[in-house]
Amino acid sequence: MEKSSPRRPDEVESVFALTLEVIHSALVGYYQLTEDEARGAEEDLYVWFQRLSRRGGAGHMPAKLLRISLLSAACQYGRSFQLWKLGGEKSPDAHLNELLAREPDEVAGDLDRRFKEDRS
Amino acid sequence: MTGRVLPFRGRPLSSEAGLRAAERVLSTPLDERTAKAKALHLEDPETLLALCGVLRERISASPASVKEEAQFLYRFIESPRREIGLFDERDYFLGETALLAGTACRCLSQREDAWIWFDRAEAGFRHTMNAPAELSRLSYQKLAERLEERQVDLVLELLPSLFESFQKLGMPEDALKCRFLEGLAHFEKDDPLGAIRVFNAVCQQADELGSQTLLADSYVNLIHAHGLLGEAEAAIEASRRAIPILRAVDNRISLAKVHWGLATLLREEGQLREAIDSYRKAQEDFEAIGMRADIAALNLVVADLLLEEGRSVEALREISEALPVIAELKMAPEGMAALSLVRESVRRQEVNRQALRELHGYFQELQN
Repeated sequence: MEKSSPRRPDEVESVFALTLEVIHSALVGYYQLTEDEARGAEEDLYVWFQRLSRRGGAGHMPAKLLRISLLSAACQYGRSFQLWKLGGEKSPDAHLNELLAREPDEVAGDLDRRFKEDRS
Repeated sequence: MTGRVLPFRGRPLSSEAGLRAAERVLSTPLDERTAKAKALHLEDPETLLALCGVLRERISASPASVKEEAQFLYRFIESPRREIGLFDERDYFLGETALLAGTACRCLSQREDAWIWFDRAEAGFRHTMNAPAELSRLSYQKLAERLEERQVDLVLELLPSLFESFQKLGMPEDALKCRFLEGLAHFEKDDPLGAIRVFNAVCQQADELGSQTLLADSYVNLIHAHGLLGEAEAAIEASRRAIPILRAVDNRISLAKVHWGLATLLREEGQLREAIDSYRKAQEDFEAIGMRADIAALNLVVADLLLEEGRSVEALREISEALPVIAELKMAPEGMAALSLVRESVRRQEVNRQALRELHGYFQELQN
């Protein structure tokens, strides 16, 4: 049976660091946030992810299994922020409109697959 | 413009500062906390995270105070609506505090309140980012409550699915807790041998996982099962292993159950007076943590032993002490039927022993 050892602090750091590149490219490339906006988002995501890993339930999961939650949060963030910037209007960029119409969890699933493929 | 969706209204606390803030909150009287919320950092997610951790650890030592604290936190976050932390954190803390309150109510046999808090927990967790993990923990508590309500077949039907969920989520300790419930279900089915088989397996796996709490709780159930079979050596060995761990983690609920289990053994061995002493010790322990249902259950068990010794006047006094609590608990139908017969017995000053045994048999199963 797998050992249920207390989570090492660097485990969470490591998962975040490994996922950061994918998060950044999703925020800037997919959701078209500026570099400054993306950096602010990433700081918040880091703080949130640290706390997620100490929750009653998620806190008992292996950190690597929390990666999909991190990607999902990043996509929700990017989508909400871009929709707020557009102020209810459609973007002139059809690709962006298409992306904003998709569920963030679905986009996060695509990103997770890409993450795994990049490392296989 | 930055990408921050929810700006902090001040510097966020570090996790260490959150722990210190949690200690300050818990040492502040409940009725002063809302007015001092800002100074106590009560809206800071680090404070709330630390508070939930402390309350989770305390639930086996002091369920009544955990219920009070968790209810306060839930109300504080919920109304007037307070924005807590980032993304889904408000929903998580609503779910977590409600789950703590519900679990505490379950320990205190406050069944209706437990179900209401479990519903509130679900409403919170449903909106969180990692809902399956939190909802699975909630499902565990609901099944534990159903077991206490003697819905054994339903529990056995649903346990494998929950076990699988925990396995998929990479939560081995929680998965093992499902086997723990399976062991308790054997008690409900009057199968102490089956319970021994399952709890021995749980002990081995809990040891491998390093889960001291689960290990000690399993030993407690082994004391009870071996006690029912009159296997003194095995019961005493299990208690020798359980007690140091339970003391170290301050698990007062299970320490009280150790006395209950040893009393069962003494009773099986025909040492009635010693058994009564041990039941009394368990009652004192339950009294200290506000577990009135268990005290009442033991009143009935002791009454039965007193009748066996021909001490019917004392037996009636025991039963009379238990009846108001039992009625307040709103027990299952079979429990209520037995209760009516015992009530009638008391009125006639002549105890219907079978009804008494049915009633405390109901409680005896509940203790597990």
